Amino acid sequence: MIYLKCSKVIDRISDIIDGQASLFVRMRFYGHLMICKNCRRYFNQFKTVHELAGKVSSDDLPPDFDHVMAFVMDEIEKQDEKKDV
Amino acid sequence: MGGQSRQQQEATAETAQVDALKAGHPSAWRDLLSCYGPSLLNYATRMLGDRGTAEEILQDSLVNIYRTIDRFEGHCSLKSWLYRGVHNRAIDEIRRRKRYVDVGEDGLEKAFDDKGQWKHDCPGWDGFAAKNFDEKRLLTVVGEQMNRLPHAHREVLLMKEVEGLCATEICAALEISPGNPRIRIHRARAALRAAVVGDRL
Repeated sequence: MIYLKCSKVIDRISDIIDGQASLFVRMRFYGHLMICKNCRRYFNQFKTVHELAGKVSSDDLPPDFDHVMAFVMDEIEKQDEKKDV
Repeated sequence: MGGQSRQQQEATAETAQVDALKAGHPSAWRDLLSCYGPSLLNYATRMLGDRGTAEEILQDSLVNIYRTIDRFEGHCSLKSWLYRGVHNRAIDEIRRRKRYVDVGEDGLEKAFDDKGQWKHDCPGWDGFAAKNFDEKRLLTVVGEQMNRLPHAHREVLLMKEVEGLCATEICAALEISPGNPRIRIHRARAALRAAVVGDRL
């Protein structure tokens, strides 16, 4: 199997975690991780942070959208009235 | 309808939705705002760093979107178009305040030697392990660090990881070429990892 350099392994991480890598690339990638402590460590950190980033949601921001909605709908109605005149 | 794929059904539903929006039906606008408004507010808040300004920017953007909906020709999804409107207005505000932070040099490129091998060992999670960081606290750190990233990284990460836009939608929202998001998403993720771990890679 063709050897994959560490720099190329790191470049491929997003393709791997997004499911965009071919089977051939995945085999070379995970084969490399088995023998390279640094890439394995980097990959684990990258993947963990990526998974946590996906959990950073609107939860910590109150979904208090009502007054924005009221303002915008008010503007829309005003503009509609202008159109009618 | 039974013979249509899910994608075709969604496209048909969106066309009907856009027609209702262009006709100015208040219920169509209310539905649109209920569906996307909170996510757009979240995006604007994280881009701008303060809720009050984000609300003002969002109000302006949405009223402007209402005024210009006739120009929407369906070259991208309605969702991308909404994000583009709010994103452009947010970036204008950030630039007006001279707070726009561009992406600096990519530290990762310097981490490898001519043969593409690590020059130094990749740092571990020791700092976090020593402080007994559980997932909840680590999640807080990730959220905080995301808000501190340069805007060019932050906008991609917010759209991809937090708001769940696909690469095509991100391209349309940020008006970037189709080959670009893969690299930008990867670099933004690498920058977030570096910020969380606290190294320069």
